[in-house]
Amino acid sequence: MEQFEQLLTCCVCLDRYRNPKLLPCQHSFCMEPCMEGLVDYVRRQVKCPECRAEHRIPYQGVQAFPTNVTLQRFLELHIEITGELPDPTSGQIMERCNVCSEKAYLSHCAHCEKKICGDCKGAHMDIMRREITRINSQIRRSLHRLQDFLAAIDKNTLNLRTNCVSVSEEIDEIFRRVSKAIKDRSEQLKGEIDRYLLTEMRNLISLKENLELEITNIQSNCDVADKHMNESVEWDDCELMDTKEIFLKTVEFLRNFEYENTDYSRRVRFLASVDPNQLVLNLASFGDLNITPHTATSSQNSQHLGVPHQQGLMRSKSDHRLTTQFRQQEERSYDNEPVLGGRKFGERPQRNADRYGYSRGAGDDYDFDYDEQSRPSKTRFRSRFVRSHQNDDSDTEQQRNVRQLKDSDAKDRDKVLDTEDVSRGQLSGIIRLYDCPRVLKRLQSQGKEKKEKKMEPQKTAPQSQTRMATSAINRQISEDDEISRMKRQNKVPVVPSMATASGTATTISVDTERPTANRVAALKKSTTSAPLNTASEESDSSHRASPVHNSPAKSEDDSGSEEESDSSLQQPKPPSKITTRSNSTDSSASTESSNSAPNIVSTKNTVPSKFTTKETVKAPTNRGTSVTNATTDTKKPFVSRFLPQQSSLSVEIRSDKYESSSEEESTSEESEEEVGTKKSAVIARNATTPNSSAYRDFPAQKATRDDILLRPSYTNSSLSSHVRSRAVPAPHHSPNDDNTGSRYGGSSYTSGPSELSRSRSSHTLKSRDTSPVNVANNKQDGEALSSWARYLKNKYGNRTGKDSRDSGASSAGSAMSVGPTTARRLSLGLPLRQTSEVASSDDDSKNGLGSPTSPTVAPGIAGVGTSPKTLYLRKRQQLFQLGGRGSEPGSFTWPRGIAVGPDNCIVVADSSNHRVQVFDLNGMFLKQFGEYGNGDGEFDCLAGVAVTRIGQFIIADRYNHRIQILDPQGRFLRSFGSQGTTDGKFNYPWGVTTDALGFIYVCDKENHRVQVFQSDGTFVGKFGASGRSEGQLEHPHYIAVSNTNRVIVSDSNNHRIQIFDVNGKVLSTFGNEGSDEGQFKFPRGVAVDDQGYIVVADSGNNRIQIFNPDGSFLKSFGSWGSGDCEFKGLEGVSIMSNGNILVCDRENHRIQVF
Amino acid sequence: MAALPRRIIKEAQRLQLEPVPGISAVPDEQNARYFHVIVTGPADSPFEGGLFKLELFLPEDYPMSAPKVRFITKIYHPNIDRLGRICLDILKDKWSPALQIRTVLLSIQALLSAPNPDDPLANDVADLWKANEAEAIRNAREWTQRYAMDTTSM
Repeated sequence: MEQFEQLLTCCVCLDRYRNPKLLPCQHSFCMEPCMEGLVDYVRRQVKCPECRAEHRIPYQGVQAFPTNVTLQRFLELHIEITGELPDPTSGQIMERCNVCSEKAYLSHCAHCEKKICGDCKGAHMDIMRREITRINSQIRRSLHRLQDFLAAIDKNTLNLRTNCVSVSEEIDEIFRRVSKAIKDRSEQLKGEIDRYLLTEMRNLISLKENLELEITNIQSNCDVADKHMNESVEWDDCELMDTKEIFLKTVEFLRNFEYENTDYSRRVRFLASVDPNQLVLNLASFGDLNITPHTATSSQNSQHLGVPHQQGLMRSKSDHRLTTQFRQQEERSYDNEPVLGGRKFGERPQRNADRYGYSRGAGDDYDFDYDEQSRPSKTRFRSRFVRSHQNDDSDTEQQRNVRQLKDSDAKDRDKVLDTEDVSRGQLSGIIRLYDCPRVLKRLQSQGKEKKEKKMEPQKTAPQSQTRMATSAINRQISEDDEISRMKRQNKVPVVPSMATASGTATTISVDTERPTANRVAALKKSTTSAPLNTASEESDSSHRASPVHNSPAKSEDDSGSEEESDSSLQQPKPPSKITTRSNSTDSSASTESSNSAPNIVSTKNTVPSKFTTKETVKAPTNRGTSVTNATTDTKKPFVSRFLPQQSSLSVEIRSDKYESSSEEESTSEESEEEVGTKKSAVIARNATTPNSSAYRDFPAQKATRDDILLRPSYTNSSLSSHVRSRAVPAPHHSPNDDNTGSRYGGSSYTSGPSELSRSRSSHTLKSRDTSPVNVANNKQDGEALSSWARYLKNKYGNRTGKDSRDSGASSAGSAMSVGPTTARRLSLGLPLRQTSEVASSDDDSKNGLGSPTSPTVAPGIAGVGTSPKTLYLRKRQQLFQLGGRGSEPGSFTWPRGIAVGPDNCIVVADSSNHRVQVFDLNGMFLKQFGEYGNGDGEFDCLAGVAVTRIGQFIIADRYNHRIQILDPQGRFLRSFGSQGTTDGKFNYPWGVTTDALGFIYVCDKENHRVQVFQSDGTFVGKFGASGRSEGQLEHPHYIAVSNTNRVIVSDSNNHRIQIFDVNGKVLSTFGNEGSDEGQFKFPRGVAVDDQGYIVVADSGNNRIQIFNPDGSFLKSFGSWGSGDCEFKGLEGVSIMSNGNILVCDRENHRIQVF
Repeated sequence: MAALPRRIIKEAQRLQLEPVPGISAVPDEQNARYFHVIVTGPADSPFEGGLFKLELFLPEDYPMSAPKVRFITKIYHPNIDRLGRICLDILKDKWSPALQIRTVLLSIQALLSAPNPDDPLANDVADLWKANEAEAIRNAREWTQRYAMDTTSM
């Protein structure tokens, strides 16, 4: 047999003869490549390799040598005997390979779209295999993204659910409250009606009885007179006289008696101060769901996800709205451009139908068999899936087979038909390889022992197909057997390997498909927009919060344009203690906070106790201070005052707290309810019950204009009566309310001079602690004192810790004091992602608006556990950046000043666009205001910007040489200063800042000095003069004030930072010219955090330097350039309460955040 | 460069599977067209007992052109020069594609048994071989001992 085989082997190629040609010497060789290679073209001879005989080549070439038919028969015989599958290349003509230019049997390569030889094809398949391996590892590496998204979706689902639940709870709560208020009110009114009815009835009944008596009497008298007043009876004169008198009196009585027959049908009327329809309308439209739009920024690019189907994957990660959109596109485009170009997996592109070269004559058994065996799946595919392709079938012989197969295979086909599409990822359009019949078949045929990479079958497909074709198992099976075999093959693989597919979680297909599928499911489920990240959640909550805040305020807006009401409007967020006093803004805040009060309690477990404690403490702190405020008149230096006062304050806190907590539910809720309904309630009562003198004290126009006035006395007199009946009296109401009440009532305001009351009117209506302390002028400063005390208290009071025990009783107090955002966040059960940030932003809104040194931030950050030092030491990586050159919103032209405002918004002085832009803490554009000019609210190359704790913007209008103050909405409030060198005048003012007490510090650059003003613009003091010695300044640019009242000035042209105290005395100086650590070249922006760490924009060195509070160098980063963490021309810097550093990168026209 | 022709693969396989006695040819790891060959000196020849290293390279157009074969081990043979080049007709004009590596190596082994000083390559050796065959054979044996039996040099 071996010899037989050897006889069938060409001695040149050592392979089975292919198209053996017989030389005249009777030796046979394959025509190609053997015979071809033997040709001596020069001599047109062929030399027999065996016998070295030389033969002339016929004219037509070596083809003209006769084919050794005998040998060929033997070959066929041999194949029949051994069952060996024929060489697939038999019968093909060799061509030049399009890659290596070698003559070989070519086949089409899907990789290079050329006809190439087997070797090159193998190499290409190798390449593809390697690529698949590489891509696969990439996929594996980036797969976690999808899993992360999956987790995020889970989280978001949870969040959304919690959010919705808590919102609906909130709605329930409000509804309950409102209905309770209405119910209470109606019961109260009904009771009054009843009482009134009772008394009136009693009156009427007694009147009726009396009249009846009178009538009886008079009638009897008349009867007596008629009967007996004649001569028949003896009456003496006296009796007659009396009788006459009685009758006369009766006449007079009858004449005079007048029953005021008033209209009892309209005696009592129900007067609604508000049009009931309006009220109903209001209620009907009460509240609104603010559903935050999705932030498009969440879709970062995922270019590193170097997946072939990158498009799909990339898009799938953007938010789900995009994905739905994408899906629609995809669905559309699947028709046009699906993942595999519309083919089924492994299917040949259509034009290659004849890639195996069916050029041989039809009816050739050999060929026929071969076709059947080698390409069963292909015919199936074509018949099954791509019907349209059938029309293109040119090889009729095959089509016959196809048809045959189709008919017999029909049922089976239907079952298998959709396997690929079933698992198709809706987002990416990627199919699960395990579901491809082709893959299944391949894997099955290859056997499990071949532990190839799962995707490899895809690429080995063509190769192994040929291998399979030659595997010589079924060659002899008849056609029917063949079909049934295929049926078996089709049936079997689908089921078990589906199972394996689901079982093996390691395969990429499973991994990718599942999350996507889940995602799709999740997306389908969620009809409302689910916030993708916590950032949007936050903005969500804040957005939702804001309209609620604003809507009540808006109603006020119409009536009250005075400064008081205006300033109260300006501060919608911080509720603080005003809740008890004015309801213009806090009607919303209080309802909200009282709303969330139970929620806070319920969610408190999840919140770090410290955090909770802090908040609970805060409110009473404020109240306590206000109480103390009333009592403390001593004038001491701040610091010395601090310690003794603290103890007394803490006592206050405790008692106050106790009281407030004991009456938590009753007081707060009742009062809140009253606040909510007060307008109608109070006025209605005012109208209907003329007897209640309590309301008469107020001027009519005030009563109608704002309920602020009514509210306190209402609380004090009537409300407190039933409150107190239930609980301990609320002493904290009285001082505040009395003050307010008396103030509004027109009685003399005793606690301070008029100037203070004025400043208070502008500031303290919301929170008194913003009223400036006029230290320099030595004013009587009970007000300021209180604010200072509160300031200290806020800073240190939390640390006493004795209140933590009471924190459980956080109720009205905490609810009111907690910033609405936090409260809402808590109430919504949202994760307090950054406790410090929340807390501090909260604090910011309460205490430290605009002052970069919000005192209460410190505990907030400390509470998180990361020391700022390590935080700063880690600084280097740019977190994000915003801007880019331009004048449209969100772009800058030479941004200079930067500040952090309430709730951590980023305020940028867009200098050469002459406007201020405000972004949220994630860099999303919020608003802009200002334009070029020298009028009110217009700027000329503004430089510094600062935000006060109540959200007012202080802007150094540089070329107009003035400071402008705008309200939180960006409306002009006032301006002061003009060009000059005297006090209160400026020469190119640059940096501005404000401190905890509201003083405004201005870097008067060309006057080489710092000027200090009160918040109303009154000049307070100045320090610094041109020079190089200590305390002198040379072009000071930026300024910052720490919470310890250290004034930090970037003494730019002296290349140093100087730190002054508030009186202008130099505390320390550090830095000199140079580029080493701790040295500067024209330092510009400075910022200080709550711990005293100082950040300096070292403009000449294009780097940011961070210093310890003592001025020693801590860290520097950055270099010249326009990439990340590279700067060109640094300007202002600022620190957010979470420690993020904002840097104005002027020449790059952007803000970088670190 | 194109992949290895089937024939070369087959030949290499066969050389491994059915090695010729006294001949080992192992393809280089980096280059499958390059073979490390060791031929044992034929019995009853002055080269008996020697292990001769050769290198064999299959050119691009193999089998249409002959493989290039060269002795690495020094050998005293009239048809093999100092550089190890071999004067063998089938490696030159008598090459036929029907020949294979194994046949070539067998021919070389045969050449060792039957030196042909009439068609010399190393003329001095051939001259001596013709003039004083005994001395030549002694030299050959000496060289074999010196160069082809030193196991350390293998």
